[in-house]
Formats: sequence, C-alpha cells, structure tokens
Amino acid sequence: MPTGPTVLLVDDEERFRQNLKKMLTAHGLAVTAVGSGEEALAELARQPYDVMLLDMRMPGLSGLETLAAIKQDYPETEVIVLTGHASVDTAAEIIRLGGFEFLLKPCPLEEIIAKIESAYERSLARKR
Amino acid sequence: MDDSTPPPAGRQSWAGLRRQAADYGSTWLVLFLAVMLAAQVSLLWGLAAATAAGWSFLTVQRLRRERARADQAKCLVDEQLLQSQKLAALGKLSAGLAHEINNPLAIIRQEAEWLLFLCRQSDPLDMTEAISGLRQILKQVDRSREITTNLLNFARRQQPVIQAVDLNRLVADMVRLVAKEVEQRRISVITQAPPDLPVIKSDGPLLRQVILNLLNNAIQAIEQDGTITVVVQRAEPDAVLIQIKDTGCGISKEHLPHIFDPFFTTKPQGKGTGLGLSICHGIIERLGGTISVASEAGKGSTFTVKLPISLTPKEI
Repeated sequence: MPTGPTVLLVDDEERFRQNLKKMLTAHGLAVTAVGSGEEALAELARQPYDVMLLDMRMPGLSGLETLAAIKQDYPETEVIVLTGHASVDTAAEIIRLGGFEFLLKPCPLEEIIAKIESAYERSLARKR
Repeated sequence: MDDSTPPPAGRQSWAGLRRQAADYGSTWLVLFLAVMLAAQVSLLWGLAAATAAGWSFLTVQRLRRERARADQAKCLVDEQLLQSQKLAALGKLSAGLAHEINNPLAIIRQEAEWLLFLCRQSDPLDMTEAISGLRQILKQVDRSREITTNLLNFARRQQPVIQAVDLNRLVADMVRLVAKEVEQRRISVITQAPPDLPVIKSDGPLLRQVILNLLNNAIQAIEQDGTITVVVQRAEPDAVLIQIKDTGCGISKEHLPHIFDPFFTTKPQGKGTGLGLSICHGIIERLGGTISVASEAGKGSTFTVKLPISLTPKEI
C-alpha cells in the first residue's frame, strides 16, 4: 500500500489520463483517474485526496469552475492545473482561486512528480 | 403766422426755406438726398450681407475642419478597433492551436517516456505494450497533422472556380458517400430535392466539402438511430437553400453563438479539431452565400446554407 500522497487525476483525454495514471502508479503514487469535473467532485465527496491534477479545458465543468468548487468544499486538497495553454489571465485566475501551481502540457513526468510532492508537503503542513 | 409776413432779420422760416429751395431747384436736392440715403442703406445692407457671408463662410470652414478632424478620429478608432479585433481573433486562434497541438504532444511525450521506462525496467521488453505505445505516437502525429492541415485550409484565400453545379446531383453524391456509415448506425437519410431546381454557378468541390462536413456532423450528433433530412429548394428569385436537419443531440444555447468559431468543438478530446464548421462558414462566404444554424439541445439541429444561383466571388 503506497504511503505517499493520494492523487486524483482529472482529464477528459482518455489516453493521456490512462498513461499518466500508469506512469504515476509505477512511481509509487496512489492515483485515481476520472474524466470530468463533475466526476471529480463526486469522487471527492466519496473520499478525500491530498493532491489533484486537473485539466483546464473540459466539456461540462471547466477546470476553473471545478477548481473554484473544490477550493470551496475541499480546501485541504491541493490542486495542480495541467493545461495545453495558459494565458497570464488564466494563470492569475488559477492562483486567485487557490490553485497550487499550473503546468503546461507537454510536461516531463519528473516535473509532474516534483510538483505533486511539493503540493503534498503543503497539504501535510496545512493539516498539522 | 401768415406766410406773407416777412420773417425777422437773421431768421428763416420753414416756409422761407421751402421757397428758397423751390427757387434753387428743390427737386434735384430731394433727388440727391434720396440717392444718398439709398446709397447709404445699400452700403449698410451690403456690409451686413458681406459680414453675414463672411461669418457663414468661416463657420462652414470651421465645421468642415471639425468634421475632417472627427472623420480622422473616427478612422483612427475604426482602425484601432479592427486591429484589436484582429489581435483578439489571433489570440483566440493561437490559444486554440496551442491547446489542440499540445494535447497530442503531451500524449506523444508520455508514450515515449513510458517506452523508455519499459526499456529500462522490463527484461525482456513487453512488446505488446511497446507496440501499443508506438501506434499511439503515430496516431497522435496524424491528429496533429490533421489540425495543421485544417488550419491551413481555413486560412487559405482560395478563389472559387466558378462552374455549373447541379445541386441535386452534388447532394445525392455526398449522401451516397456516407451511405455505409449511416447504415451501420441505423440512421435514415431522407432527401427532398425538386427536379426542376436550376443549375447554379458556384464552386462544386468547395460545396461538396461543406455538404460532406455537415452530413458528418449530423451523423456524429445522432450517433445511433435517427434521421437526417436533406432539403434542397429554390428561395427568393436568385437563391437556393440547402438544409441539413438531424435528430441528434442538438447544440446548447450557450454553445450556439460559438459554433462557427475556429477550434470550438463540443466533441470529446481528439474527436474533432473544431475547424470543420469554421471552414464551412469561410467557404460559403466566399461563395457569396450564408450559413446558419437553428438547434435545440436534445432535439437536433438544422443547418441552412443559402447560395446565390449565380456566384459573384468575394474574398474573405
């Protein structure tokens, strides 16, 4: 049983989601993957997560809408936004809504893992 | 006082003067005075008229200058507005392009990273997994190429090649092209086209592209079990209408205004580039026509293309 952070991965691109879950799991992380903001909120209602990897552009609830909802109901979950494009405005909005960080796709796996670890540390510090 | 009474010395009565005037030819004097008065009045009127004309001239000049300045300012504002609209469109296009290209790139990167991981970890290498990864890389490269090709088609300023187009035949050809797919999905296609429809002057290959795109969209909107109705009819004296109606998922109210925007798509990731309808829109505009959509979420959509019978090409 992994002792590291529990990660919720939210991305509507199925192959990306499967691959990232497979690679993060291979690095010892406990990952659950879902395909939309709505599913992410349902999953969070079921159990808490330390870190969330959240896609920006999704049908239904957008990344920003999902982020706002999570920060309101589950503030202890740190959110890293993954996006194919981020303008300065979007970046500012992510930070304003309480997002931990944002990463631009395509992003090296090491960078994603490093950000998850930083977010987990902050999550632990917040819980102490 | 009696006129006949002589006035005192050094004083003259009016009557005396009149007499004197009469003596010196009063008619000429009166005439002279009248002429002088008239000249003075004319002079005054002239001066007044000249002043008014001068004032009017200056006012008109001032108004012209102000108008020219206002026109210049308006031109500047229009130009700035156009420029900012262009920049906004370019920004939107770049954002869409970045997103559409970066997603397949992200998958390509993942697959390559996973293959490296497998090469380092597994001995022997899991060939099934490796082949799946390589296939996925090829698929994502094709996806990216499709996006750039569509974008180039979207941006290309191609002059239509005008020729006689039998719309009924063109529509029937395109319906035939999707026949196999609609059959597999149990979708029926009903075509309503009057036999006496005039041959129109337009660009056949470009029109085929539009009709095929609209038919494919209708099929994707229905997915399984439904009806596509294609209506071709004459409209107004010099136009024809092509309507493609589906009983698919429809388009929500908030999506409807963006349906012709480049990179706007309601399809799942990787299933649509969001360029099809914007390309259709560009083509129909180039062909001097219009394209519009009416839709209700959950009930279906109707795309209406209106084309002139005789094309006057215009560049977009």
